[in-house]
Amino acid sequence: MPKVCYTQPDGTERVVEAEVGDSVMQAAVRNGVPGILGQCGGSLSCATCHVFLDERHADDFPPVGEDEDDMLDVAATDRADNSRLSCQLVLAAGQEVHVTIPETQL
Amino acid sequence: MTTTPGTEYPFAPMPPAEAVEHLGRIIADRPMTKMTMPYGGDVWLVHRNAAAREILSDRRFVREPFRTGERVVPFFVPFPDFLRGTLQFEDPPQHTKLRKLVQKAISPKRVREMRDSAVAFANELIDGMIDRGGVRDLVPEYSLSLPIEMLSNLLGVPSSDREKFERWSSSTLAVAGKSDAEVAADMAELAAYMTDLIAERREEPRDDLLSALAHARDRDETLTDAEILPIAFILIVGGFDNTATFLSTGVLALLSNDEQRAQFAADPDGLAATTAEEVLRHGGFATGRPAGGGGGLVPFVATEDVVVDGQLIAKGDAVSIDLTAAGHDPTAVTEPARFDIARPDNPHLTLSHGLHHCLGAPLARMELQVGLAELVKRIPGLRLAGEPVFSRDVLTQPMTSLPVTW
Ligand code: HEM
Ligand code: HEM
Repeated sequence: MPKVCYTQPDGTERVVEAEVGDSVMQAAVRNGVPGILGQCGGSLSCATCHVFLDERHADDFPPVGEDEDDMLDVAATDRADNSRLSCQLVLAAGQEVHVTIPETQL
Repeated sequence: MTTTPGTEYPFAPMPPAEAVEHLGRIIADRPMTKMTMPYGGDVWLVHRNAAAREILSDRRFVREPFRTGERVVPFFVPFPDFLRGTLQFEDPPQHTKLRKLVQKAISPKRVREMRDSAVAFANELIDGMIDRGGVRDLVPEYSLSLPIEMLSNLLGVPSSDREKFERWSSSTLAVAGKSDAEVAADMAELAAYMTDLIAERREEPRDDLLSALAHARDRDETLTDAEILPIAFILIVGGFDNTATFLSTGVLALLSNDEQRAQFAADPDGLAATTAEEVLRHGGFATGRPAGGGGGLVPFVATEDVVVDGQLIAKGDAVSIDLTAAGHDPTAVTEPARFDIARPDNPHLTLSHGLHHCLGAPLARMELQVGLAELVKRIPGLRLAGEPVFSRDVLTQPMTSLPVTW
């Protein structure tokens, strides 16, 4: 089972077991991890599932797409080089991913 | 279908605490109920929060048959024709294209940038009420003025025309007090007004959404006046009335709950965000007004057989979300009957979810937060000075008057 470790802005961590094929956003929403809203349900139209992806996983996911890029530009917390929309980070078997949640999504 | 006693749906208004219990029993009994609407026939009303999210995220539920007119929208009244031409009734890919054009203008980042001007304007309105003194009517003097000003700035229409917007907007949802001819005349006037404004912005663009839309065709070659007009329509219909209603409802809810109100007054900036969410979820109940059940979001149609939470939704069935029940589902919300402005997680669906989730959500939230916080900061002694008035002439029965003093 893939695992996701979510670090809150205050440093607290929570590890969640996810299903293969879930996105990092879905795993958070389903397990009530605060700070990831995912209001558009993954249709790239709300920018409320913004996360900072740990550098060590940079190559484990497809690169930022055009629509994702547009939405990251307008997220509530300013984007960084490792910013991703977590609805685009789809988990594979056995994968372990670390992400940090930004100060605010709204 | 036979219904277990105490789980009837729809149900007539009852005291709010009882209504929450009634909804809880329905949710324990079944995920959804089939209901026959006055127009358009049967529709599934989905009560459970998780099932509702599942449906709202599933692209097999579409609105095309309503847009093309193949199906009548199951609803309380004949659904206004001109609204069927908007974003609300599009499916991908056209929906994606239209939505992208607008959503950057109302993005979380843009809305953060607008926040200071919202605070300044709210304070101007409050200054005005304080100067005039005596008994003030919060709905026209505050709750409506704030979102109209924000929307006018965003779209680029003069806020001095606000009285027209109010009329046009209420006309679209009128159930009484207006003849069909009057409604048609209002709509024609709105179309003419917007067409003129779009032409002006084509000539002389400004830094506003209408200018951006008017010039989008130059970059993309696909955006026509016929496409811009419905976008402007839906923003006017969906963009301030709701916000005004929830702002008024939020104030009334706080004035009706002394303990929550004191808590909010002690830290308005810190609690504004969670308070706004709680008002969206439960504000109407917290005012103490009787609450009923029956009806929800504009429906979708299933393009194939889909089983959701054990219930078969057959191909061609219409499905709507019972937002009230979803916000009071005991499996998603702890102590759903409690008005708790500090609730850490608040999975209400009042702004919907998925593809059609509220495009103005960041703006609506910001306006509610600012509107509630500034009022409490500036007028801590605010109190009711009479009974609120609700309009029965408009389908959504919005609050039209809230007399207050201090
Ligand atoms: C408290 C205030 C508001 C509430 C409760 C609210 C709620 C909603 C809901 C439930 C939907 C989904 C409707 C559907 O499925 O047919 C929606 C859609 C929409 N809202 Fe809001 N809204 C609010 C404020 C705003 C504002 C301020 C704007 C714009 C400035 C706005 C613009 C829209 C638009 C354009 C859609 C259609 C989106 C689509 O179909 O893709 N709303 N809203
Ligand atoms: C973008 C457009 C729209 C948005 C964002 C929107 C949003 C909403 C929201 C959030 C509510 C719940 C209000 C509450 O709980 O107090 C509501 C209620 C309602 N809306 Fe809309 N609406 C839109 C368009 C329409 C249209 C076009 C119609 C009808 C022609 C309509 C008819 C109703 C009715 C009848 C209710 C009351 C339902 C009930 O009490 O259960 N809405 N709307």
